[in-house]
Amino acid sequence: MAGAAPVLEDGSLLSRLDRGLLRLERFFALLAGLAVLSLMFLAVRSVGGRVLFNAPLSGYVDWIMQLMPLIAILAVSFAQRDGTHIRMDLLVARLGGRALWLFELISVLLILFLMIFLLWGSWAHFVRSFDFAAPLWSRDSTIDIGLPIWPAKLIVPVAFFVLCLRLCVQAIGYGRAMVLGLDSPVAVPLVQDAAAQAAAEAETLSEKG
Amino acid sequence: MEPIDIGLWVSGGMLVLVLLGMRVAFAAALAGLVGLFLVFWSKRGFDPEQLGWAITVAAKTAGQVPHSKVASHELSLIPTFILIGYLAYYAGLTRALFEAAKRWIAWVPGGLAVSTVFATAGFAAVSGASVATAAVFARIGIPEMLKIGYNKQFAAGVVAAGGTLASLIPPSAILVIYAIIVEQDVGKLLLAGFVPGAFSAVIYALLIIGIAVIFKSVGPPVRGFTWRERFASLPAAMPILFVVVIIIFFVYNPFGEKAWGTPTEGGALGAFIVFLMALGRGMRWTELKSALVETAKLTVMIFTIIWGVLIYVRFLGFAELPDAFATWITSLHFSPWVILVCILLAYAVLGMFMDAIGMLLLTLPVVYPAVMALNGGEFVSAADSAFGMSGPMCAIWFGILVVKMAEFCLITPPIGLNCFVVAGVRDDLSVQDVFKGVMPFFLADAVTIALLVMFPAIVLWLPSLA
Amino acid sequence: TEWNVSVWGKRRAFTEHIEKLAELVSEKTGGEFTMNVSYGGLSNNRENLDGISIGAFEMAQFCAGYHPDKNRAITVLELPFLGVSDLKEEVAVSHAVYAHPAVEKEMAQWNAKMLMTSPMPQYNLVGTGEPRDELSEFEGMRVRATGGLGEAFRAVGGVPTSVTSSEAYQAMESGVVDTVAFAQHAHLSFGTINQATWWTANLNPGTVNCPVVVNIDAYNALSDEHRKVLDESVSEAIDYYLENYAKLLKRWDDVLAEKNVQKVMISDEELANFREVAGKPIHEKWIADMSAQGMPAQELYDLVFKTLEEHRASN
Ligand code: NA
Ligand code: NA
Repeated sequence: MAGAAPVLEDGSLLSRLDRGLLRLERFFALLAGLAVLSLMFLAVRSVGGRVLFNAPLSGYVDWIMQLMPLIAILAVSFAQRDGTHIRMDLLVARLGGRALWLFELISVLLILFLMIFLLWGSWAHFVRSFDFAAPLWSRDSTIDIGLPIWPAKLIVPVAFFVLCLRLCVQAIGYGRAMVLGLDSPVAVPLVQDAAAQAAAEAETLSEKG
Repeated sequence: MEPIDIGLWVSGGMLVLVLLGMRVAFAAALAGLVGLFLVFWSKRGFDPEQLGWAITVAAKTAGQVPHSKVASHELSLIPTFILIGYLAYYAGLTRALFEAAKRWIAWVPGGLAVSTVFATAGFAAVSGASVATAAVFARIGIPEMLKIGYNKQFAAGVVAAGGTLASLIPPSAILVIYAIIVEQDVGKLLLAGFVPGAFSAVIYALLIIGIAVIFKSVGPPVRGFTWRERFASLPAAMPILFVVVIIIFFVYNPFGEKAWGTPTEGGALGAFIVFLMALGRGMRWTELKSALVETAKLTVMIFTIIWGVLIYVRFLGFAELPDAFATWITSLHFSPWVILVCILLAYAVLGMFMDAIGMLLLTLPVVYPAVMALNGGEFVSAADSAFGMSGPMCAIWFGILVVKMAEFCLITPPIGLNCFVVAGVRDDLSVQDVFKGVMPFFLADAVTIALLVMFPAIVLWLPSLA
Repeated sequence: TEWNVSVWGKRRAFTEHIEKLAELVSEKTGGEFTMNVSYGGLSNNRENLDGISIGAFEMAQFCAGYHPDKNRAITVLELPFLGVSDLKEEVAVSHAVYAHPAVEKEMAQWNAKMLMTSPMPQYNLVGTGEPRDELSEFEGMRVRATGGLGEAFRAVGGVPTSVTSSEAYQAMESGVVDTVAFAQHAHLSFGTINQATWWTANLNPGTVNCPVVVNIDAYNALSDEHRKVLDESVSEAIDYYLENYAKLLKRWDDVLAEKNVQKVMISDEELANFREVAGKPIHEKWIADMSAQGMPAQELYDLVFKTLEEHRASN
């Protein structure tokens, strides 16, 4: 199942790092959303130009291909922050306490391991398309109107780098929870049961207050 | 270790990671990365001196995939389809549809539930994602049903099941993904989804009416709307028609003239119309911004699965697993129909545990070539084929069957995304409640799938005109 | 030794020399050196050079026009109206250019070495509606043509329109484009011929250039014997390709007749006009642009015509 889950916040350094990173991630998500919106306007321009003026948008396909990494990858870390990326929490939902945090920690560390290699690989992919000596620094161009591709390729390692930072924050968050045996740690998405528990606690607190 | 052995071991490892709760996209990508590494290293005889080389080549090969697979013109349909759904919500289309459906058809037994099914089917024609459809109708449909005394679980089940229709009725993100993986015409597939989607809705409606007739307590008919009230409800729901017409006409012109453009353009223009409507209905920057951020989030979630799984698929390519599987399937001494039914049953089981998109992406690279081979190959004529249809038609038919299976997996326990979403929206419902309420619809889906298998014409009639 | 070979699409006339090469090499080495041809499993078609550069596979096919900036030098072969008249000439011209040091150097950046070409016939147009056999009728014509070809049609008032090759059929059907420029085998495999009412038999505007390359390290790592077998099998593989494509071209006329597609002949005068407007100026612009980037552009350009002359003289 999916599960955007609540992320608790407090005044600790880790939580401040979490929120600082979140600001960047939100900005990336908004950019991605605006890029989706621009798909719409590109189509309007393309069809309108063709039907009304026999002047279709030159390089329509090229522009879309340039926009897609922005739309599809830039916000990858934003979705990791609150656990939007799909998983099966059949097993995890049954765990609690230190066992749960251990599982989450291992899972996040595995993702971090993966992403470090993908960061390297996607950076290499960018570098192959980039050449300081060439016009527009381009060593790879789109098929139709010859746009340089390197900016679109650069988006991927940038997004992956932010995701690596996010994973570090989460690894620390889970690690801390495991060592200290916390019930509701900050800066990590909580499994729904734990979240409900946290919410219930918050309620009793406010009742008392 | 031969590449095929590596393929099997790594695939097993990935399943374990998924079951242990690692995010599906990353589990698949990790399996792909490790698999690529093993394949390259095995090529150099697992020589320790070649370890660094194998790691480098694996990382660079895997690192290409995200940009390379995502920068696709056809895939741009997915964010567009998702955006339409969010904008349609802000344009008030959901409520308008529900109101119109209620006034026109709620007089039948189980009326409000039947209306909900047809309203979700209507919303499916502007929404590309089943989950979003279920979430929206959980807010609108369930309270109305509860008000007139519906069983709570049943009401939730109706919405969870009705929501799945958005995957068959175009626009549909899952159909686009299928088309991309199997390299078939996106437009024809979207077109092919219309009739089976509507068909599915009718079967749901018949089931509800049947239940309501037998168990009087389920839901009383709602009568008493005048014709004036009925017609008054239409204008607000009309814009749906615009979007449907645009999408159809951009894929295929029913009047025998040329279509108006490509599906990509049609999808984006549909979004534009809904966008204008939402502006007209008072959507301002705050709402637009949250629609955009929500779109970005759902989009990136889907695309992460896409590139993650495609890294794994790239590894499968190097391990030559799809070829091996197709050869194996075609060498079996069973009737192709029996094998097809087994494949569909396997999807039903797999679908219990996996989400729809991940399931398709993981299995299709192996299963699709096998099914095509079973039918007699890509270029087979209808006369020479096993299923009585040409290669391209088989691709469409199997696509619709698989997407229907994917819809089914959205409501089957233990991992039925739609049921989780409905339970998530409604505080008074537990996931178990929704699963109980949705149970009768398993029967409806089984009937639908059986009919689609037995009468392929339901699927192929429309695309064969185009 | 087993080599992985990355191509795309389906097995077709365009990939027959690779299949033949694999067969020959395996035969001659008694199965010691085999090639495993993968249709799209190993890489995207636009990233085959990347894969060669990484070393993920040993051999690959790509087209210059997919990514001009990756392979500037050989884009000379995609200029419109070079006057190449058949596949044999296309082979001669391509291989001469491939052997030029500027090309070798650029390919070496990708750790690639040119092995052979995949000769393509001229990209003539299929179109819907009334046949367009005069230059003036190209005004406002929406045409699916990429790179240099697109430029050529733009020069005479055409409107080059972006559609991928797999979308070409749909684009014609929907009127997004009026005409599509492809080689014959592609008109057949992408189905554009089924939409067409006419085909330009003698427009011959130009073609695309699609080399087959090998990874330099893998090539050097071959035993002397295997390398010799590989090198020597190239011409046989090309011969087989030509023979096979000739059969396809023969069938082409039947296909036209069967689908009731009109064969449009354009007058010499109109063709001369077209070349005047769309040939020379685009050639000169290419030479100027590439020279500015430090490419021996004039040399490459002259090499094309010198080779054509020599080839014709020797036959
Ligand atoms: Na839909
Ligand atoms: Na399920």
